[in-house]
Order: sequence, then C-alpha cells, then structure tokens
Amino acid sequence: MKITRRRLAATALGSAVGFSVARSLAQAPSGSTEAEDLNAAASEQLRKTAETLANFELSMSTEPAFVFKV
Amino acid sequence: MDELSDVIFFATIRELNAKLKSKEFSAEQLVRAFAQRLETLGPRYNALALQLTEPAVRRAREVDKEIKRERFRGPLQGMPFGAKDLLAYPRNPTTWGARPFAGQVFDYTASVIEKLEKTGSVLIGKLAMVELAGGGGYRFAAASMFGPGLNPWDRTRWSGGSSSGSASAVAAGLVPFAIGSETSGSILTPSAFCGVTGLRPTYGLVSRHGAMALSWTLDKLGPMCRSAEDCALVLEHIAGGDSKDPASAGKSFYYTPQFYRKMSDLRIGFAPVDFSEWAQPAARPAFEQALAVVRSTGAQIVEVKLPDLPYGQVISTVISSEGSSVFEQLIATGKVEELADPKQIAGLKAGLEISAKDYLKAMRIRSIVQKELRKMFTGVDVLLSPSRFGPAPKISEPLDQHSSDQPPKDKGLSALIAASNLAGLPALSIPCGFADNLPVAIQLVGLPFSENTLIAVGKEFQNRTDWHRRRPKGS
Repeated sequence: MKITRRRLAATALGSAVGFSVARSLAQAPSGSTEAEDLNAAASEQLRKTAETLANFELSMSTEPAFVFKV
Repeated sequence: MDELSDVIFFATIRELNAKLKSKEFSAEQLVRAFAQRLETLGPRYNALALQLTEPAVRRAREVDKEIKRERFRGPLQGMPFGAKDLLAYPRNPTTWGARPFAGQVFDYTASVIEKLEKTGSVLIGKLAMVELAGGGGYRFAAASMFGPGLNPWDRTRWSGGSSSGSASAVAAGLVPFAIGSETSGSILTPSAFCGVTGLRPTYGLVSRHGAMALSWTLDKLGPMCRSAEDCALVLEHIAGGDSKDPASAGKSFYYTPQFYRKMSDLRIGFAPVDFSEWAQPAARPAFEQALAVVRSTGAQIVEVKLPDLPYGQVISTVISSEGSSVFEQLIATGKVEELADPKQIAGLKAGLEISAKDYLKAMRIRSIVQKELRKMFTGVDVLLSPSRFGPAPKISEPLDQHSSDQPPKDKGLSALIAASNLAGLPALSIPCGFADNLPVAIQLVGLPFSENTLIAVGKEFQNRTDWHRRRPKGS
C-alpha cells in the first residue's frame, strides 16, 4: 500500500490535535515551566549525578560494560 | 459476516488458534473484528497511532488460503497484533510518538514485524507511545503526540509508558498481543498498570533492527500479552540472531514447558521490605497475597537484597548520554522544542553536556552491577518484587510528585528495574491483584536467557490465580 499525501496530511492533522491537547496537559499542571528553569534544573540534576558517580571508587582494572550478556 | 462473540477479544493466543484451526471463524473474520474494535475503541484510550485494516485484511485472506490447504504454521498464524509506533513499517508513518517525526516514513520493515508476519500473524495497527520512548525524562503522562495514554481500567489514570498503547490495547481487548520496547521499565510499567502480562527479553535476544534507538546498550523489544504462555509463544517467533542488529546475541528461544524444573527445585529471592514498606498501603494486601501464592507452589523462598550501588545514577547517565547522542540532530536543529513535555526537551538538551568521563564511569560501574547481580544469582534462580509499588497514577498528576517522599532505609529490591536493565536481564510482569480498583503486578527477574524459567513460574502463578483473566468494565 502506498501512502498518499492525503493520508499523510490526515496523520499530521490528527497529530496536531493530539499534540495540542498533550502539550496543554503537559504544561498546565506545572507552576514553573519556564524553559530556562527546566534547563537549569536538568543541568543541576546531571551535576549531582556526576558527583555521585565521581565519588564511587573503582579499581583501575574495572573495564566499562561493553558486553551485556553472561 | 456473522459478528464474533465478545469472548474472543479476551481469549489467549492458544484459544484463538484452536478456534481458527477448527474453522469456527476465519482469519479474515478475526482480523476484521479486532481491526474494527481497535479503530473504534483505540482512540478512547489514546492507544491508536495508525490503523492498518486494509493491508491486514489482505494478509488474513492469504492466511485463510493456507488454512484451507491445511498448511498450519503454528499458534500465531492468523493472529492479529499491534506494534509500538517506534517500529518501522514501510510506506506508512512511524512517528516515534513525537511531533517532529509525525511525517516520517520508512521503506523497510522492522525485523520483529517481519518475523511475526512470516508466522502468519497480521499487523492491524501501530500503537501509541510516549514521545521518543521517554528519552530525556518526561514529567507528565501527556508526553506524547497522541495525548496521555489512558488506562482501560480507569481513564483518569495513566496507562504507563513508554509502551502505552501496547499495554492499553491488550488490556482493552483491541489486540490479542502487542510488541513493546523497554530501555528501563517501558514494558514492565505499562504492563503492570494495565493488568497485562509483559515480557522483557534478555538484551540481544530480539532484534531491534527497524526500531527507534534510545539507548543502544539498553534497548530491548518484547511481547505484551494476556498470559505468560502467550508471551512465550510470541517470544519463540521473534527471538533469534539478526545480522542487521549489531547487538544481536545470535541466540534463539524455544518454549519448552516439557523440560521445566519442578517448582520445588526453584529458589526465589525476595526482599520483605518491598512488600511491607516500599509498596503503597493500598497495594500491600495484593502483593502479600501474591507472595503467598508463590509460596504455595512449593518454590523455596529466600530473602535477598540488592547490593548498594548507584543504579539510578548509572542508568540515567547511560540513557541520557546515548539518547542525546541519538537525537543530536533533533536538538541542534531546534526541532526538539516541538516535543510535548518541556522537561523532556530540557533533559535531551542537557544530555549533550555529559562528559566522556562520566559516561565511562557509569559504564564501568555498570560492569560491577553485572558482576554483583551474577553473584546474587548463585543463591537464587529468580528474583521477585512488585513491578511497581502502586497502581497507575492520575494522568493530571506529575509523574515525579512522590519522588521527594522519604524512602525506606532498607532498599530491598526497589531498584530492580534499573539494576536488571543495566545487566541485560529478562523480566516478566504478571498481574497479581488490585489496589484502588486498578491492577498491580509482580515482576520475576532471572539470569540472561532464562526466559523459560520465568515463564514457568509465571505460568504456575497464573494456573493458581485469575488476575490475568480479569477485564476492565465497559471494554
């Protein structure tokens, strides 16, 4: 089956409606949704995470996990 | 064409297969019935991404010709299914649940869909998901271009994510089974919240070719079904080596119930604190009852707890750095701003700031996680814990609203989802009761490629309970 322009447009339109509902729901309950605040909070979270990782002592011989199966 | 009985929408794969073989109805009738239901009820739960009735009916007719010639291909022949909208299907949109990719069309089929089609299964629709499978970290259930995933048990509650539509579609009887994906919790969480049985296979067992990447070293695809046995039947056909997936383990899976160990030979590890303190009060009776059922199987129950390691920090560093690298172009072009969840936008941008030093440190600690978990499994065959500690949250509430609550001092197995994903271990989530009229579930985790053991325990649990047979009112 080929995708027609009409079908693609319908998908995009449906998406747009769903998206506007989704975005309003995503933003409405939050008191502080300023992008800058969120960016700062995300960076702060990374900093804290990095600090925890840095404080974790490892032997020099510990290699990264590049194989994920036993 | 006669309308099919409502019962079929909640039947297992085995039951539907038996009816198809006895020609109680045709594959075309079955596919049409499910497709119509998906089209009608899917939007009610924001579960539907793309309806594929037309090609599905064509395929079903081919299956009917095969069945007429008595050419039986196995239990999945003629079985309708849905696939999370991060799996490529040619000449149709594959949106990854995100507005910037709303018009994305691939010219190839994801290996997992291809494998299912070879068994005679019929894809009837793509299912909604959290945008970019939650990459960057979302704060609201509405983080999807399809709107918040609504739970068939109560539409004011979330279906869970990121495989939202896959879980709600199975729960509401819109598909007999669906394919979901998990990086860290995206099969287990929606399966638990919607009361379906979900299997996260061992990393590398199921090819991810044609699936959106979020984290190359964590992503897995797996089935979401009505029972543990259905998960096994689907896994048997989607597992296997694939040269198109660099992480493929090159292993197959054969469902072998005839070789299952006796339950009394199995050692199942659990942490009492998970059930007594981590579990939300409303869910504790259901979890305690589930534990009693597991005990009644004769399995040896052993107390365990996870070694004290920074599982959350390690997995968030791995997902953030790999995910932000995957979506680097999206971030660089500013299209990331079109996502629905502002926290996710910020998270994806921030992920690019993670240094190689921190990523490698996380990956080195990850090898300790693998080693420690392997050690744990010398004393037990299976780990048991609540899949989530409570039922689905309200869609209007921030998903992180309880994150600042004082957690119990004893961590038990509370970090099992992160830990087991980091180690690439398989897990099975099975419904075990209700809290506040919403489903709750337990998870079983085993060593890599021990899916048969998990299914054996899950199947035994489901032989003794009927939680997986319950269906939401009005569905």
